Amino acid sequence: MIKNKVINILQNTSDISHYEIGVSVSKEKIVTLTGIVEEWKDVVNIGHLVANVKGVKNVVNDITSKDVNIKEVNNDIEIKATLDKGVKEECDVVIIGAGISGCSIARSLSKYNLNIIVLEKNGDIGEEATKANNGNIHPGFLAKPGTLKAKLNLRGNKLYTQLSKDLDFELKRPGSLVVFHNESDVKKFKVLKFLKKTGLGYFIKSFRQYMKTPGLKWLSAEEVKQKEPNLRGNPLGGFLMTTMGIVEPFEVCYALAENAIANGATFKLNTKVLDIRKTNGAVNEVITNNSVISCETVINCAGVYADEIAKMVDDKFYTIHPRRGAIAIIDKNRKGFLNTPSGVLGRSDRSHNSKGGGASVTPEGNLLWGPTAVETHDKEDKSVEASDLDYILNLGQGVTDQVKKNEIITFFSGIRAADYKEDFIIEASKKVRGFIHVAGIQSPGLAAAPAVGEMVEKIVLKQNRLITKKLNYISTRKRTPIFRDLSRELQDELIKENPNYGRVICRCELITEGEIIDAVNAPIPATSIDAVKRRSRAGMGRCQGGFCGPRVLEIIAKELNIPHTEVTLKGGDSYVLHKESRS
Amino acid sequence: MTKEFTCIVCPVSCSLKVEAENNEILVTGNQCKRGMIFGQNEFTHPMRMLTTTVKIDGKNLHRLPVISTKEIPKDKLKDLVKELYKLTVKGPIKRGDVIVKNISNTGADIIATRTIQ
Amino acid sequence: MKIIDVDVVVIGGGPAGLAAAIEAKKQGTKKVMIIERDTSLGGILQQCIHDGFGLHRFGKQLSGCEYADNYIEELNTYDIEVAYDTIVVEILKDKTVYAMNKTDGIIEIHPKAIILAMGCRERTRSQAFIWGTRPSGVLTAGTVQRYINIEGYLPGKKAVILGSGDIGLIMARRMTLEGIEVLGVYELMDSPGGLSRNIAQCLVDYDIKMHLSTTVIKTHGNSKLTGVTVAKVDSNRNVIKGTEEYIECDLLVLAVGLIPENELSNQLELDIDPLTRGPIVDDQFMTSMEGVFAAGNVVTVFDLVDYVSLTGEIAGAGAAKYLKNELDLKQEYLPIKSGENVSFVVPQKIRLNNLSEELPLYFRVRNKQEKTEVGVFELENKIYKKRHRVVLPPEMIVEKISTKLIGEINTPLVVSVKEV
Repeated sequence: MIKNKVINILQNTSDISHYEIGVSVSKEKIVTLTGIVEEWKDVVNIGHLVANVKGVKNVVNDITSKDVNIKEVNNDIEIKATLDKGVKEECDVVIIGAGISGCSIARSLSKYNLNIIVLEKNGDIGEEATKANNGNIHPGFLAKPGTLKAKLNLRGNKLYTQLSKDLDFELKRPGSLVVFHNESDVKKFKVLKFLKKTGLGYFIKSFRQYMKTPGLKWLSAEEVKQKEPNLRGNPLGGFLMTTMGIVEPFEVCYALAENAIANGATFKLNTKVLDIRKTNGAVNEVITNNSVISCETVINCAGVYADEIAKMVDDKFYTIHPRRGAIAIIDKNRKGFLNTPSGVLGRSDRSHNSKGGGASVTPEGNLLWGPTAVETHDKEDKSVEASDLDYILNLGQGVTDQVKKNEIITFFSGIRAADYKEDFIIEASKKVRGFIHVAGIQSPGLAAAPAVGEMVEKIVLKQNRLITKKLNYISTRKRTPIFRDLSRELQDELIKENPNYGRVICRCELITEGEIIDAVNAPIPATSIDAVKRRSRAGMGRCQGGFCGPRVLEIIAKELNIPHTEVTLKGGDSYVLHKESRS
Repeated sequence: MTKEFTCIVCPVSCSLKVEAENNEILVTGNQCKRGMIFGQNEFTHPMRMLTTTVKIDGKNLHRLPVISTKEIPKDKLKDLVKELYKLTVKGPIKRGDVIVKNISNTGADIIATRTIQ
Repeated sequence: MKIIDVDVVVIGGGPAGLAAAIEAKKQGTKKVMIIERDTSLGGILQQCIHDGFGLHRFGKQLSGCEYADNYIEELNTYDIEVAYDTIVVEILKDKTVYAMNKTDGIIEIHPKAIILAMGCRERTRSQAFIWGTRPSGVLTAGTVQRYINIEGYLPGKKAVILGSGDIGLIMARRMTLEGIEVLGVYELMDSPGGLSRNIAQCLVDYDIKMHLSTTVIKTHGNSKLTGVTVAKVDSNRNVIKGTEEYIECDLLVLAVGLIPENELSNQLELDIDPLTRGPIVDDQFMTSMEGVFAAGNVVTVFDLVDYVSLTGEIAGAGAAKYLKNELDLKQEYLPIKSGENVSFVVPQKIRLNNLSEELPLYFRVRNKQEKTEVGVFELENKIYKKRHRVVLPPEMIVEKISTKLIGEINTPLVVSVKEV
């Protein structure tokens, strides 16, 4: 009996045994928890404990804690406003959420004769976990064997090579290096090597993921030194995962979305889902703040809000507990200081649930420290605290002690959408026809994204065997010019063709007016300063927009033909300017 | 009566002590004559330069920086600035052009400090 | 691609670049060219509409714009080419300069000498390690100054200023006059960062409070700034628990310091002084690369524009002498070192054969000291001394040493400030 096992573990775990927790188990083996505890961390701990009980499919954690106040969401007034407005639309597939998963799925489905609408509550795509990601295309080695994560990570990593060619985004494969300083670790890695070579690892369950990961190499102390001369101390050896890739996460997300648009998909920004209506056990209508959309399929890629969306169709069988991750970016002066995302064995006290971070590198050559992993009750809590940075610096210090705190040019955080099983949930709803869950997508969600698209494509095809392929499907996409990457001769030609490329707006990153105009007029237009930054890099350098901010604002106002005072930093009411000084 | 001021004439920022004695105002702590004059003024009737911008219908720029030709009473500063905010001048303007002559009878003119097309 | 040969290329048309170009020309250099990224010369002076500039140089109080204009007018009397709206993208070690603009495209410039005059930039919120969210309404003082003075927009209604350097103080007054309520100036250190006269005329005049040993530790609001948390700090600049205070505001103005802009210097791999964060220069303001000079805030952040202009003149004259082969490039350098209570000295090294009559030394003290004497030493031998009633870290000290006194013995010069 699962219920007994759950109660048993709750009663026999110190710190939480004194709480009164209500436990109910559905026939699908979903455990629902209720009760009140003192602190938020207890809510999370209990959720994890229960999720790890053998046989539990997932956990709906309705426990509340005394130290936080989570407001009940009620959309009734907004729903009525939309219904009164009476705007109606129709399509085949609604995708909720334009993060990396939603965009990848949109692209995969745009191959077919389907009318697709992607809904995004923010003013831009990829504005949540996607943009705050470290850009690692993980080799798949660290994922827990047997999980969906593990499977899709390996597959996704493999798909990236072709994807980057098709969609013209930058992918580098510097590999990922783990070094060790202890003799005992040297032995451990010798055993690993032996297991891999002989194939014996396949017989041990916990080694299976490792056995499946391609491109593993063992480096001697000298080889480590040669590859990464700036690592701290004198490592005794290293373990190189050659398939590790790095990308700019937003660039990938944007490329996927743009290609989907080229194939007919529609993206609606600033559009929030308020409710989903069913008829006869199938999805029927999606109500947003703007319109009522009738459709046959709804794909829930709503990230941290995926559980709330699932609840709208009465099929919430998981709870998303937000986990914040902070990242620090180091000045480009350190370009080339590290070539490979690196870690030191036994250094990071990584949470067992989230892939903790280390020292990474961006495709542009900035060093990137992090991310952290901090449980929070607030799905919008994108703050960075002193403790986050201490943790990040400690991670960085483990890899090299030469890079100093004052070389950090920016830090920011994002929220991982973790469920309590800490695995991806990708499946057709068993209760509601036409509803597909794509939830719990956290690290390695970026690496897995192409495989997530592929998997959902299969689910949709299975549900509707009459779907036909588009004859005029466009499989590739070309990005607009990136001035800084061109040779001087080509730069000169480009300026002669279009003089806007001759005016540099962002000096730190060498971004031209032409590129910013391209961003503002892109298929998914950049309408805020941050959106321009994500597309063009303007403001990403060491001065963080101090010089170019006012100029970017001016270009946005001009291109969109809006007053300066209506330009925002990041959508919503994040206006930069309050009013004109004389009027 | 003794008052203490920081001299604002130059970056040296001398600390001044000003005393009134038998109709005479004594300044100490200054290192130059201008400091003495500042100290005396500050004691009896503090004066300040006025700098701000006024609206201009220019080709590229929309604000014209201006300055007073001499110091004006400190307590009038805020009101005078508000008066200037009601103005809109037409370009082109040359540096030194008088924008307001003898503003509020202070004897100071408000002049442009930048040439704007 | 347009290819240009010049004698001296000056990178940046702010006060340092203007003075350097004029001086190089005056000293007989044939072809001088300024590369300016903006559409007008003068650099950041154009947004400094307040008065207080040029007392040293012109003997009267000018606004920043007027100070710049004086130089621009003088420049216009010479045949000096200015490339506007043009940015330097790269300098190669053979001194080839790549610049670009809308009309010419990529320009390849072959100068015989280069003067770096790129100025400085502001430290950002990340570099001040302010925690919390990242809403709009957090801007550097220079950006706010540009919005208000040049573009004519107000970026908020209620402002908190972090940093009591001169820009922070000037903006406190400026915002008040524009109708923005300034709720206070917060300073991490236990003494103000700006000049006393600016505290008097920018804060005291307008009843704005300065809070020393207090800093902004956190921003609030996910979209638009809704407030900040300030807290007191102890002598080690650590936050004192329990002193946190929430202030509702929609604008946080950061005046947390300036950093020399040395991206191009780094491309040339010039020797950088970790104390000034600018290139190491000699008595001609020549850097570690022969024929490459630096002037103004690229070298170190000066507090008066007058000094910036002076260094521009030195570098301009130096470049002219270099072109005329009048500089001894072989003589061993004598280093100038920071002694007691001195945090840095510019120039960092000199060649005795190249000195003119006077050698100006620019330096700052580490700590406030009263009743002091500046001394310049060759070993035990005091070759120069001057009394100062008070010395403060924010106020740069300039001493002009008669060069006749230097070089009796071949030993480094040491600049010290001691109590007497």
